[in-house]
Amino acid sequence: MSKPKVAFFDFASCEGCQLNKLNLENSLLSILELVDIVEFREAMDDRADEYDIAFVEGSISTPTCVERIHDIRRRSKILVALGACAVQGGINALRNSQPAEWVKEVVYGDDKYLFPSIPVQPVSAVVKVDYEVRGCPMSTPEFLHILKSLILGRKPEIFDHAVCVECKSSENECVLETGMFCLGPVTRAGCGAVCPENGQYCSGCRGYVSNINTDGALEMLAENGLSRLEAVKRLRLFCSSELVELDGVK
Amino acid sequence: MNQNNFTSLRQLKKVFFDERTTRGFISFLSDRAKVIAPCKKGENSYSFEYIQNPDEVVFDYPRTIQPLKKFFLPPRETLFNFNTRENSFSEPDIESEDRIFFGVHAYELQGLLRLDHCFEEGHPEYNYLRRRENTLFIGISYTPDDWHFSRSVGIEIEKLEGFCLYFEPLDSGFLVFIVNEAGKNLVELFGKGAEIDNDENFALVEKNFRVKIKFHHNRLPQVFENVYYSKVWEEISRKCLGCGTCNLLCPTCYCFDVRDEIELDATTGKRERFWDGCMLNSFALVAGGENFRDPLSSRTRHRLHRKFKYLADSAGDLFCVGCGRCSKYCPAKINIIDIINDLIGDFAGQQKRVLI
Amino acid sequence: MEVETIVTEKKELYTPTISEIVAVETLTETEKLFEIALPGGEMLNHKPGQFVEVSIFGFGEAPISICSSPTDLPTFKLTVRRVGRLTAGMHRLKEGDRLGIRGPFGNGFDVEAFKGRDVLFVAGGIGLAPLKSLIDYTLAKRDEFRRVIIVYGTKNPAEILFKQDIEIWQQDRDIEFHMTVDRADAGWQGNTGVITTLIPGLNLDAPETAVAVVGPPVMYKFVLMSLKSKRIPDENIFMSLERRMKCGVGKCGHCQINSVYVCQCGPVFNYPFVRSLEEAI
Ligand SMILES: Cc1cc2nc3c(=O)[nH]c(=O)nc-3n(C[C@H](O)[C@H](O)[C@H](O)COP(=O)(O)OP(=O)(O)OC[C@H]3O[C@@H](n4cnc5c(N)ncnc54)[C@H](O)[C@@H]3O)c2cc1C
Ligand code: SF4
Ligand code: SF4
Ligand code: SF4
Ligand code: SF4
Ligand code: FES
Repeated sequence: MSKPKVAFFDFASCEGCQLNKLNLENSLLSILELVDIVEFREAMDDRADEYDIAFVEGSISTPTCVERIHDIRRRSKILVALGACAVQGGINALRNSQPAEWVKEVVYGDDKYLFPSIPVQPVSAVVKVDYEVRGCPMSTPEFLHILKSLILGRKPEIFDHAVCVECKSSENECVLETGMFCLGPVTRAGCGAVCPENGQYCSGCRGYVSNINTDGALEMLAENGLSRLEAVKRLRLFCSSELVELDGVK
Repeated sequence: MNQNNFTSLRQLKKVFFDERTTRGFISFLSDRAKVIAPCKKGENSYSFEYIQNPDEVVFDYPRTIQPLKKFFLPPRETLFNFNTRENSFSEPDIESEDRIFFGVHAYELQGLLRLDHCFEEGHPEYNYLRRRENTLFIGISYTPDDWHFSRSVGIEIEKLEGFCLYFEPLDSGFLVFIVNEAGKNLVELFGKGAEIDNDENFALVEKNFRVKIKFHHNRLPQVFENVYYSKVWEEISRKCLGCGTCNLLCPTCYCFDVRDEIELDATTGKRERFWDGCMLNSFALVAGGENFRDPLSSRTRHRLHRKFKYLADSAGDLFCVGCGRCSKYCPAKINIIDIINDLIGDFAGQQKRVLI
Repeated sequence: MEVETIVTEKKELYTPTISEIVAVETLTETEKLFEIALPGGEMLNHKPGQFVEVSIFGFGEAPISICSSPTDLPTFKLTVRRVGRLTAGMHRLKEGDRLGIRGPFGNGFDVEAFKGRDVLFVAGGIGLAPLKSLIDYTLAKRDEFRRVIIVYGTKNPAEILFKQDIEIWQQDRDIEFHMTVDRADAGWQGNTGVITTLIPGLNLDAPETAVAVVGPPVMYKFVLMSLKSKRIPDENIFMSLERRMKCGVGKCGHCQINSVYVCQCGPVFNYPFVRSLEEAI
């Protein structure tokens, strides 16, 4: 059996996921035994390699990105989006709710006209995404699960239930008991509830369960003392491409 | 209205332990077996833990986060390890060690006895039953808070079934009631504590346990027989987030999912089971995308029918033990007592219409 | 509840028996037929309508109906539609490969209720697979049954299963066979239309006809309505219901319909009982 050809690509992201990948430490060597990493770069390449699995980080924010992601898709059998930016648009997408000119002004100052930009989109808004590794930074165990599953040739098993499930399974003290708010009840599990385990509230970095009860979530946050505006901001921090029904809530 | 609950206790032999003796007793138990008892967890919570030091044990606590089921049906358990190349597998040993559970509330043990029924019935399950071997339970009294309602489901604070000893707190220590032979042996071997012949000096304080459910528990299965189409389910689902907390913490929820996980060598791996719950998205989903219980209202309806009707009918006991966990920890503040009372209201309304 | 009182006997509930695939046949683009032998020539001893849990290590487990008759010894057969993890894994296996089997599970059809009567089989799509074990059983003991009527519908001609058997059924004068497809293609010469279009034309001795129905969830409601208009008594109708399943032994809770565990009391149910379950169809 020849080793699957794997490539990693990076779009607009905070680089947090790159770091995370390097954190795989002990696993990295075993991974290298199972796959051929053929591409680990940012620029588009004319050699037109074909990949068995392409991992894509970051969100799509310029016309060049759009071209590049189409190219990657054409050359890849399986495309996996890595991290909140690629999956949900992530924090990058927050700029969509600001006037575009203003954002460019702030980011690029006087050079703003050199950088055409489009609304920030998750990868799936542009091309078909086969699997997603959620989280900001992406969840390492989930990344490994998907990689191992794909190497074995089976469909990965991804959870569609709340962080509370993992949190209660490890019997963490619920942060609601200590007076915080928490997005765990509507956020997709898979991170092992790391934040509550360390006494922090879940900020929803993995995006939401597919059947999120948005009104219920807002009501819960109101009970926890958040104003409506603040609640909406919290819910949209990582997920502005989801929960579009909250567009325009002021 | 409420008769003396202590009648059953009064007939038992008892000894007096002051607090230091009680901690000494826990040390004594630790020499004979693994001891598990409630401990502080985080800022405001409690959990059952293996005890290293008797001073960790908390005597007065409302409830632990997880019930006792985690010791018998672990949240994550390897069913077997496998090798894909050789198509072989091996099961991990489940050692059956002597375990003594100290400081258990009556509803807690009642929950476990109900789980026993489920794992003994039909196809008895080795993994669970093996862990249930060689266990002893020592009960303790508690002061009900807003969420406890076990009296409303027929479980008094002093229900002794399953305990070998029962600790009733006094100002200066505990009255230790000897419930059965095993308990008697423990106290005799320990050999400390003052024997008490008459109660006069020990006025047991009746705890204030409001009955919170409007109907006697005998009538609840009948209520559930008639509220399948109640609008109450829909009303709850407007607030419910489907987070599954109510499943995961319930002493009588035991549903599980099974998955294979492979190691990085792409050859060895394990088949694991995890806690699952009927409130969660994929629970009733089948190939083709059909979900047999899609709306959250139908999931809550199923959860409560399991507690008050389905399992109750087949086992003869209500499967809710009134611990209050599903309500205390519900992030949407949905309270099971309110649900049941609303359903009773609905049912009573129906009955009235029939009469008119 | 004392220390000494519980003694546990070890029973293998969750571990599979490693078995061998002795033949694989491709039926359609998405369905394959597997013939499987238990180790040491052991018999599965199943009843028509029962299922097994098939596992491939690393891929997991799935419930699959046994589609061969218990009279076909010593192996048994499974028809598998490729829909996901385990089933895709199975489709890659070849003759001589091994997989895990648990079971048989479930109740199966009560064959006594069919004996001495006219038997009507109604199969939709892959529902023919579980029914085939009963059909083959009926044909193996043909004398014990009166008329044998098979009604089969699929979405399109490409999805037709067991073409060789169907050819035989069509020629056998002891079998009344009717088939339809929802959508015809260029070469199709038979009936077009959903399966219920075949039922009104049947000439049935209603009180003495026992019916076995298996198909996708949406099919039941409509088939039951047509059977009702043919005046078939409810208690003559048996159906096999599908639910998500994991353990197969009444523990994991996934297969529950109201109070009933499908893996224990089903998957075959008598219609009057199904009617009493709100969540069933
Ligand atoms: C009693 C019974 C008999 C069956 N007989 C057959 C048969 O003869 N031939 C056949 O091809 N199929 C049969 N099925 C359906 C088959 O079990 C599912 O298609 C299979 O479980 C999908 O597993 P997977 O790992 O390939 O798919 P997955 O990758 O697990 O999932 C694909 C889809 O199947 C759903 N699913 C997952 N697990 C189950 C489950 N245990 N039961 C049902 N759906 C599930 C998922 O929700 C998802 O939508 C039967 C099911 C039952 C309950
Ligand atoms: S801390 Fe958050 S994730 Fe954990 S149980 Fe509480 S609400 Fe759920
Ligand atoms: S607990 Fe919430 S915020 Fe923390 S990693 Fe998990 S999903 Fe992200
Ligand atoms: S704990 Fe509350 S919000 Fe969560 S699923 Fe249960 S009822 Fe719904
Ligand atoms: S249903 Fe709620 S109150 Fe009843 S036993 Fe379960 S967790 Fe406790
Ligand atoms: S499949 Fe587990 S209970 Fe039926």
